[in-house]
Amino acid sequence: MIKFHPSEQHLVHYMLGELSPAMLMMVGSHIDLCPHCQHHLRDVEEQFAMKIFGQRQMPLPDLDEETMLNAIFQSTSAPVVPILEMRDYLNLEGKRFKLPATLARNGERIGPWSRMLGKMWRAPIEIGSGETLNFIYMEQGAQVPEHTHRGSEATLVVNGVFNDEVDEYRDGDFVLLDGHHKHTPQTHHHDCLTLATIDAPMQFTSGLSRLLNPFSSLFLK
Amino acid sequence: MRSVSDAIIERTSMPPMQADNPEHAAELLARIASEKSRAAFAELFRHFAPRLQAYATRQFGNEQTAMDLVQETMANVWHKAHLFKADRGSAATWIFTIARNIRFDFLRKNKHRQHDLSADDLWPILAEENESLDDDYALDNDLLMQQLAVYTESLPKAQRIVIQLIYIEGKSQQEVADALDIPLGTVKSRTRLALQKLKELIQHHD
Repeated sequence: MIKFHPSEQHLVHYMLGELSPAMLMMVGSHIDLCPHCQHHLRDVEEQFAMKIFGQRQMPLPDLDEETMLNAIFQSTSAPVVPILEMRDYLNLEGKRFKLPATLARNGERIGPWSRMLGKMWRAPIEIGSGETLNFIYMEQGAQVPEHTHRGSEATLVVNGVFNDEVDEYRDGDFVLLDGHHKHTPQTHHHDCLTLATIDAPMQFTSGLSRLLNPFSSLFLK
Repeated sequence: MRSVSDAIIERTSMPPMQADNPEHAAELLARIASEKSRAAFAELFRHFAPRLQAYATRQFGNEQTAMDLVQETMANVWHKAHLFKADRGSAATWIFTIARNIRFDFLRKNKHRQHDLSADDLWPILAEENESLDDDYALDNDLLMQQLAVYTESLPKAQRIVIQLIYIEGKSQQEVADALDIPLGTVKSRTRLALQKLKELIQHHD
């Protein structure tokens, strides 16, 4: 049972495409895993469509119906969007993780795994927006020293379990932390694959790039 | 300014079934999908296009971009009506999500690609699907790939060709329809029948 969900505002912004690319991927992946949010998203879409299409609207003066209709009838079929190449699984150290559909559709953006200090691994997802979006994998019994965040950090549990002082997070849980939170993520008897992004202010990007990686900031020199 | 009496006249002169009636709108889409009905599309267009235009004009603050969005959205409705699934939501919602995707890609292009995500990567509503794979005839994909070659041989020729084009050559149902010059509906029904047959064969041998 998923305990932690994106806010309603996140869902609305996701639905409109008005989150940052990294957050669109994060929220989209959560929705793939969460029937509750899938349902909620459909409601939000329905309401929004009603808002746009449900009201009376006089024909607008510069919409030339006949011309546009003819243009559409004469247009050749829009290019077929092919069945998307899906990368259904992510492999690491002999383990195989099923990817949520949003990530599976974007499988070619997933970079190679690299080992971080301790029992943790990281693989970047290249979305070309300058944001940092990573898979973070924690082996069993891994612990990250206490840390805080600049900007906010979003973490989605793709598979497994991790804990911090506050709670336990399992498959599908979506956790958003800001600079006020201090926490010590750790795994015990389970390993854990998460997707994580941090939105450090842009002006820090070059000098403080080591801060950009959610869990890795304290390890990477 | 519209007067009250104008509004009353307009309301009373409406035909009984309007495109803002969800069942009717879904029916219009079905007619576009099955018989390329221009009349059905025109009716849908007259309802949705002006509202879309009003929305897009507010969004973009630019009338030409708004018109482009209306035209591109409605062109997709015309060409892709077969991808609308009435059991997954209303026609209005489907059309809105198409417009959302197009707006997303417009904005990305206008900003000189500050990222590489396209709307299709996020919301694949216009991607051709093998719909047979997500309904009752769903088969585990790996299993299908392993056994397909063996069992495919026993299918009637027409079904076998469709299955080979889709699963071995990776074509979409629309591409198969174009390649064989047969209606999309025929491709779908052959796919469905073939998968049903394959499923029986696989279960029978399990």
